[in-house]
Amino acid sequence: METIVAVKDLTQKIGKKTVLDGLSLEVSTGECLGIFGMKGSGKTTLLHILAGIDRFTSGKVEVAGVDVRKNEGFKKYLGLVTQERSLFHDLSAAENLDFIAALKNAGRENIDRLIERLELGEVLNQPAGSLEAGLYQRLALACALLNKPRLLIADELIGAIDLDSRRIILRELETFLAGGGTCIWAFSNADFLPHAGRVGWLEKGKITFYQPAEALARWNDRLQSLAGQGGDGGA
Amino acid sequence: MRQILNIAHYEMLHIIKEKTLFLMVFLVPLGYAALFGAAYVTAVLNNVPIAIVDLDDSKLSREIAAAFANSPHFKVVDDIKTYPELQEGMKNGRLRAGVVIPEHFEQKLARHELTRVLTVYDGSNLIWGYNTRKYIREVFNEFTASSTASYLAGMGYTKNEIRSIMDTVSLNTEVWYNPTFSYTNFLFLGLVMIILHQIGLLSVSLTVTREKERKTWLQFLSAPVPAWKIFTGKAIPYFAANFFNYALLLWFASRFVHVKIGGSPGLILVLGLLYDLVITGAGFFISLHASNSLQVTRYVMLLGVPFFMISGYTWPGTHIPAFINYLARLLPSTWMVLGFRQVVLKELDMSYVLPYIRALGLMAVLAVLPAVTFAKRLRPRPQGGPVLNNGPSYPARWK
Amino acid sequence: MLKQVMAIIRRELFYMWHDRGLRNILLWGSLTGLLLLYATYSAQVLKDIPTAVVDLDNSSASRELVDKIGQAEYLKLVASVASYDDLQELIKQGKAVVGVVIPENFARDVALGRQTRVLAVIDGSNMIYATNASAAVLTVTRTVSAQAGVSALVARGVQLQQAKAAYQAFDFSEEPWFNPALNYAYFLVLALALNIWQQCCTLAACLNVIGERGMKSWLQIKASGISKFRFFASKSIAQVFIFMAIVLPLYVLAFGVFKLPLNCSWPSFLLFTLAFAIAIHSIGTLASSFARNAVDAARFGMIIALPSFVLSGYTWPLEAMPAYLQKAAWVLPQTWFFQGLNYFAFKNAGWHLMSHYILAMLAVAAVCYGAAAVFIARS
Repeated sequence: METIVAVKDLTQKIGKKTVLDGLSLEVSTGECLGIFGMKGSGKTTLLHILAGIDRFTSGKVEVAGVDVRKNEGFKKYLGLVTQERSLFHDLSAAENLDFIAALKNAGRENIDRLIERLELGEVLNQPAGSLEAGLYQRLALACALLNKPRLLIADELIGAIDLDSRRIILRELETFLAGGGTCIWAFSNADFLPHAGRVGWLEKGKITFYQPAEALARWNDRLQSLAGQGGDGGA
Repeated sequence: MRQILNIAHYEMLHIIKEKTLFLMVFLVPLGYAALFGAAYVTAVLNNVPIAIVDLDDSKLSREIAAAFANSPHFKVVDDIKTYPELQEGMKNGRLRAGVVIPEHFEQKLARHELTRVLTVYDGSNLIWGYNTRKYIREVFNEFTASSTASYLAGMGYTKNEIRSIMDTVSLNTEVWYNPTFSYTNFLFLGLVMIILHQIGLLSVSLTVTREKERKTWLQFLSAPVPAWKIFTGKAIPYFAANFFNYALLLWFASRFVHVKIGGSPGLILVLGLLYDLVITGAGFFISLHASNSLQVTRYVMLLGVPFFMISGYTWPGTHIPAFINYLARLLPSTWMVLGFRQVVLKELDMSYVLPYIRALGLMAVLAVLPAVTFAKRLRPRPQGGPVLNNGPSYPARWK
Repeated sequence: MLKQVMAIIRRELFYMWHDRGLRNILLWGSLTGLLLLYATYSAQVLKDIPTAVVDLDNSSASRELVDKIGQAEYLKLVASVASYDDLQELIKQGKAVVGVVIPENFARDVALGRQTRVLAVIDGSNMIYATNASAAVLTVTRTVSAQAGVSALVARGVQLQQAKAAYQAFDFSEEPWFNPALNYAYFLVLALALNIWQQCCTLAACLNVIGERGMKSWLQIKASGISKFRFFASKSIAQVFIFMAIVLPLYVLAFGVFKLPLNCSWPSFLLFTLAFAIAIHSIGTLASSFARNAVDAARFGMIIALPSFVLSGYTWPLEAMPAYLQKAAWVLPQTWFFQGLNYFAFKNAGWHLMSHYILAMLAVAAVCYGAAAVFIARS
């Protein structure tokens, strides 16, 4: 298997806080790596570095064989769904697709297919800002897939959204993986652990890898130990 | 090219959708120009309210009073007759000038005793002050000449003889470039340039900060679109709007405010394009690095007055200390206002305007270069803490 | 109740301090402006207007005339050039503002009593130069033609005494009141610094309402049950207090150190300033009460604050503006303030007039606060 993402000794300090503390990881083509961690554990920080958005303190990050500090070239293989709403909220869904396609220099031919697959036909003329959470995430995914990316970076792809949208998104994700795509998917809800091929558990700036079943077991252990203490204190 | 046009298209769409921004880009410049134009439309300060305190009440003193009454520059306020009234009138603004003819003026003059007419004017506002001083001297020069003429006539000289005596050495004064001393010709276009500077900066400098605030900047950063295309696309609407405003305001100034706009249209075009380019480039650069729209708006708004005052456009550079002049030379507004005056008011040709074009050209390169080569990476900032309005967002009405 | 007010005031001061941009603007904005402008106008009086002479005659008579021009008030000889074209060049380049051309055969013509014409050229493109230069040239004109006339009369056999009498009809003196040296720094520096100050204050006041309603802590305030009136009144007291606190060093520097004229009493001038501070605060509050966000509030506030100085008639006089614009200008508190600055700081026009001005500004404040209260109550 070809390695598409290679991270070595990545450290990110924001202000005085060390968010990522010398972590390393590798992702192979076709893999679906789940990044699991609580709020504030650095998932978004890591993903934004992989997507070539944020500067970082030290370490080496290669995506599609390109050192992200030196070159922008890898971005044409990249799709990104952000945790925060980052679509153009005063533009309609259709305009968002059109504009982001232009930004990515992607052909228009993909747009219709994605509208159909993510079932966006009815909301094309609505401003992105007014879409409900589920529809918004579907649109965000459609925008991320416009350039037929080799690597999809998805941050909280599925939050607390309606089940229908959840089904549609998971279906599209499977299609994407089946087509040979690679996915890095960050989430904080343990329900999604089984959907990942491999799980990177992010905590205190370090990452530990597990098989999904193993990660789920550890998570349940933790919940039980908390319950055993009789408290409802934070994890 | 398609990418650039698409970015430009959607930026334009945004300007149209955000009402306040739209008004600011397309209406406020003209609005300000119209406002200032109305303020300066009279152009020449006439009808300076003046009081004649005639303590002599002789033939001569009445002639002096008549000389002031006949001058188009002055308007005699009739009901002020005494010195204390004059003092009071000068204080409360009813008067801007006064003439005091002392008691026994004519008699003393006839006896060659020392006596003189006192003129006073308001120096607290130097636009009144400078103009009134000039007007008073004009009236007295004329009056002296006519009284000399009548004296000579009394001595028996003919009109021709009088003229030849009095004009033995005549000093004719020509005022170039602005012969009517029009305040509008002097100031208005400088203000227009500052309006364009401020509105241009204020609108373009929000283009990236706004995307950052709405997180949409992430879409630009994660997409494989080079920095220069982002700049070009986003700058095109503002560049075009600014240039449109430049042309519109010049047309307005010439048509409605009757400001003199002479000189070569080619030079006006070149100066305008360069100035526009500097503003757009610098605005974009500010936008890239500013933390949020509120801070940018606040800082940029305050630049106008000091930039204009240190440029040497009003108070001349020869009387400004060197270090301020150096500071002013770093600003595009300085070169634009001064260069523009060289062209439109003094109607000078290329060779006199070249230094200004060169400076603006250099600035345009310096402003555009960092704007097209910016690194598409953010430096993440710590969230929260007691620092207000400093992060990527500012207060907006909350529902 | 007082405790509540004090707590809100304290919190407001904390907020203003921790808004770094606002803090910089308030602390340094107007002070930097004052220093920069004082330096800009440090020459204070426009003397030494650069003057060039073309002496085509080069005789003792023409040299005498050149001397006279050089000695004229405000003029300074900087160049003596050989031809009219050279002079034109100097004026085009801005190296000379006044040019005097003495014709060939000047001395001979004068001696023979023939007419001769001296030309003075003034660059009118900068009015400040042009009006001063023109006033200076007018004086030279009078003395030169008088002298020539006297000698012409003497040459015709008139007695010197009588010849002089023909020309010295009488003398007049000039007294510029309130600013005897026609000091440009006196005229503009403080006013421009105060203009920056009022812009800074408007920016701060523009956060008054939106700064609260735009933050989620607004829910806490709504839930706490405090009356909106008391809440915003307390905040406003803190803000106006800050406005006054930042104008004080400005005044101390301007009047104490730079010795700019202040002819009315300190307390009355501070009271006058306070009324203005309240008025601009009310405008900012109004802008912030209907704006959708802080940026829009700042824009609305500044749309008034930016052009108000020009409209106030502090420089180009109100009397010279069209009547409708004058009426509109008197609606703005800035007009009352900057006109008042002229009347009270320079002219000490008296408490009667000042009380009138203060009431006008407070009336503006009452209207703006009232309108803001309506907007706040309706939301």
